[in-house]
Amino acid sequence: MRKNLREWSVAITFCVLLLFMAIAAPSFYQPQPLLSLLTREAPALIVACGMALVIIGRQIDISVGSQFGVCGVCSALLTASGWPVALVIPTSLALGALIGGINGALVAGLGLPSIVVTLATMVTLREGLRWARQGEFVNLPDAAQWFGMSQSAGQWTIIAMALLIFLAIALKSRHLAAARYVYAVGSDAEAARLAGIRPAWVTFGTFVLLGALTGLAAALNMAQSPQVDPKSGTGLELKAIAAVVVGGVAISGGRGTLWGVFAGFLLLASITPALTHLRVEPYWERAIQGGIILLAVSLEGIKKRR
Amino acid sequence: MSPPPIPSRWKALLLRHESILLLVLILECMYFSSVGRRFASADNASDILRHSVEIGLIALVLTPIILTGGIDLSLGSLLGLCAVVFGTLWRDAGLSIELAALCTLGVGGLAGALNAGLIAGLKLPPLIVTLGTYSLFRGLAEAMTRGVDTFTHFPESFLFIGQESVLGIPAQAPLFVLVALAVWLLVHRTTFGRALQAIGFSPEGARYAGIPVSRRIAAVYIMAGVVAALAALTYTARLGQAKADAGTGYELLAITAVVLGGTSIFGGKGSVPGTLLGVATLAVLSNGLVHARQPREVAGMLTGALLLLALSSSVLPKMFAAWRARRHTQRSAIDPAITEDT
Repeated sequence: MRKNLREWSVAITFCVLLLFMAIAAPSFYQPQPLLSLLTREAPALIVACGMALVIIGRQIDISVGSQFGVCGVCSALLTASGWPVALVIPTSLALGALIGGINGALVAGLGLPSIVVTLATMVTLREGLRWARQGEFVNLPDAAQWFGMSQSAGQWTIIAMALLIFLAIALKSRHLAAARYVYAVGSDAEAARLAGIRPAWVTFGTFVLLGALTGLAAALNMAQSPQVDPKSGTGLELKAIAAVVVGGVAISGGRGTLWGVFAGFLLLASITPALTHLRVEPYWERAIQGGIILLAVSLEGIKKRR
Repeated sequence: MSPPPIPSRWKALLLRHESILLLVLILECMYFSSVGRRFASADNASDILRHSVEIGLIALVLTPIILTGGIDLSLGSLLGLCAVVFGTLWRDAGLSIELAALCTLGVGGLAGALNAGLIAGLKLPPLIVTLGTYSLFRGLAEAMTRGVDTFTHFPESFLFIGQESVLGIPAQAPLFVLVALAVWLLVHRTTFGRALQAIGFSPEGARYAGIPVSRRIAAVYIMAGVVAALAALTYTARLGQAKADAGTGYELLAITAVVLGGTSIFGGKGSVPGTLLGVATLAVLSNGLVHARQPREVAGMLTGALLLLALSSSVLPKMFAAWRARRHTQRSAIDPAITEDT
């Protein structure tokens, strides 16, 4: 337990929050709102998993929100024009992987700083989307919602898919060689190179994976509502980065586990609804999110100084 | 050892990053004045200047930060927070405009000090700290106004700074020139500026050379906070209103201007005149596109593309040289005759 102190402390904080809600506002525990909450947040978990790998590899991607928007609108347009779900999801995934590949090529191939590259792609994609859609929503046929299933079946499918992806990455990141390469490159790229790893390809791979996961998340998000907003995904990058950083992944790379990210994700996802139940105004959401990021990194900084 | 050959003064001047950027700017102006009829007029020139003051101010103070190898993503959000704070102090707390403005500058300094404390004090990466404050400052602005409240009806004397002209020059221009001059002096003409450059080049080396690294870094972030507050004041005066979404996306435009101006994103190299040229290039681009009847989004897309282009152009020549050197060594390893020739 001492080895994973950070992960446990986040998990315990989450349990304390749940306990506190049980006493202060028991109305928080209603099965239907909780199920919709989990469904709504499931895409963010998928993105956070990919983001965790990118950050462990000592890079960052702040363009995921825009990627999410582009993939969501494209898959909605395809669905509206009559494509079956079985084709739309892989297409959205491939489109995300392509965008992630562009980021990855610029970062890994040219050695440019990932923050500035993804800042540029974030704005270019978002403005391009706004230009193409002029703020217009994409209306979806009724049959497309919840993949043509009943609402609760659709909700459970989305949650199950998100959990499956999380479990696959979390379990494989301990033993799969490719995942260990990410840790190696994140902790010391030069040492990894001398050990026979190609850091540039590993970095490129993490960006492609994050893009693909974002594309998948966008498709799952599309299935939840009768129409898709071209502004969807705004602020998703902060949500994903916050979950990763709060979950104990070192922003300097090489350290952190997916289990911690899961705990961080649960904590952050439940804070906003918890606040609503405690009658705090929702305008505070962004400030609280920023405060939590700062708190998490400062704790790490203080620990390191000792 | 003989000294390296000194290239002629003219050639060196022509190949400077700033000269190339100036050429781009001139070409841009020529193109837009041929496309848009009212682009090349004194009115439009003062309009461009008026609209680029806030981004210019932020880009100016971002230059020393990037020079030290840091970054500040929170300045656009801080502009929004300061605008809201200013409005609240004036309307709700009943302070006079001067006192409210002074307090706003103080709040900007405090916000900068928060960044500075976490970055210089706790030695946290500037990227993640300012990403956190980016969200925090904007969130506080939204919380203070409940997302919708807008401050308007500022007195005429205050709006004068943002909307009127003196002898055809926008009233906020002298303020901008003053800040530009101060930052230029600080970066290029003082030991403080040399210290920043040394820190960006090698923080550890700067420490061994006796430079108080943490204090210097803290100073540039606090300065950035104060100037972002100043930008909030000119922004409010120009639009006549203060809202929580003021300055959204300004951090990207400012970073683009600084990188376009030849400051290395890795730190250690940079120039204030370059930043000013970068700001001018972006301002002319977005204004010219409007005159060329292009939608606003095109300017945003081009800004992102331009940033990528500027970044790539700073590394591609180096990569090409490294590739050629590697190929040369490989070939000479196979065929010793090549090394004998040279």
